[in-house]
Amino acid sequence: MAIPHPRDIQLAAVRWLDERYPFTKAIDEAMYQRVPNFANAFYYCFGGMVFVIIVLQLVTGILLAIYYVPDARGNPAAAYNSVLFIQNTVYLGWLIRGVHFWGANILIFMVLLHMARVYWTGSYRAPRELNWIVGAIMLLLILAFALTGYLLPWDTKAYFATEVTIKIAGSPPPPQLGAFIKTILQGGPVVGPSTLQIFFTAHVFLLPALIVLLMYVHFKFIRAHGIAEPL
Amino acid sequence: MADAAAPRLVTRRTFLGWWMAVILTSLTAAGVLPILVYLWPAPPKGQKKGPVSITLDKPITQLNDGEAVKFNAPTNPNTAFIMADGGGDNAPGDLAFGGFAVKNAGKVDVLAINCSHLGCSVALNDAAKTFDCPCHGSRFHLDGTVLHGPAAYPLSHLTWKQGDNPSTIQVDGIVLGF
Repeated sequence: MAIPHPRDIQLAAVRWLDERYPFTKAIDEAMYQRVPNFANAFYYCFGGMVFVIIVLQLVTGILLAIYYVPDARGNPAAAYNSVLFIQNTVYLGWLIRGVHFWGANILIFMVLLHMARVYWTGSYRAPRELNWIVGAIMLLLILAFALTGYLLPWDTKAYFATEVTIKIAGSPPPPQLGAFIKTILQGGPVVGPSTLQIFFTAHVFLLPALIVLLMYVHFKFIRAHGIAEPL
Repeated sequence: MADAAAPRLVTRRTFLGWWMAVILTSLTAAGVLPILVYLWPAPPKGQKKGPVSITLDKPITQLNDGEAVKFNAPTNPNTAFIMADGGGDNAPGDLAFGGFAVKNAGKVDVLAINCSHLGCSVALNDAAKTFDCPCHGSRFHLDGTVLHGPAAYPLSHLTWKQGDNPSTIQVDGIVLGF
């Protein structure tokens, strides 16, 4: 029996898959899109950079979650110790945490640049208003990511920054409403272990699910509308 | 008798449509309400309000006029004091993690440590006989009244009574349960 050329194996695999679902067609439709010449400017890449950074955050976040312990009881708390462990003991832990930290900062910067580009080129106008709204919601989600992630190291800076932000969140009148919001966010009468648990849950489960969903919607809208022509 | 030409106000279709809407709304509410109740934080098992025994560095009876001693809430178990009054950032029922026992003009006050502006811990300024806030520069007289803004309200009082021995006091507080 002759040894098959690798291409034959590839073709056989693709044919086997295509007979069961039109993968080739679906991938062709997704990948082969003509980029208009006006969209070749560097500032049309900001949104894509945001996407790349979010993927990076998801990957490094999953890696950090392998060692992080969301437990704020005791002094020093297990949460704080686990961050020290990641930083000092885990192989390349400093690198993964560093990428997650700087990625978070650069992400907000890139999001603002992307928004500025969309505003500058007037790409928010009809019929694309819904995509601007979806993007604005994702901006809020990113800020919620930043807020909840800031508490997780459970050091003094994290604790008192969160105390301040929760105080701001609990400031709307009437006082009963503010107190209600504060209690829900804190998970009790003070910033404590339950606060860390709530913020951790939001940061690791709720917000990633929401942002991935909205990113899918965002991209679907872009494909439906095409890239907006400049003014 | 209904006029055959006039459209009916309620047809079988709209009636059933509204019934379905009511049933679906109720089902949604029945599903969401338990989640909202679940989210409301339950107090941890060990959480308990009551007097907290504090040992002062100097017994209250030995305090000189214009003298204050600082004390902290116990951390084993984690405990907080409950404010008796307060304005601005403080309110009755708010929690404090420290305080001062002050003797001023013959009268003893026990004050919460939280600045009434935005809640930073005020520090005793022994030379000027004031409480100074490190965050935004508010200053208070030893009786807790405002000497200098931005704080607009006096420091909060803690409810207390003399303990079993001269150097202890019983301050109203809460064992947090974690």
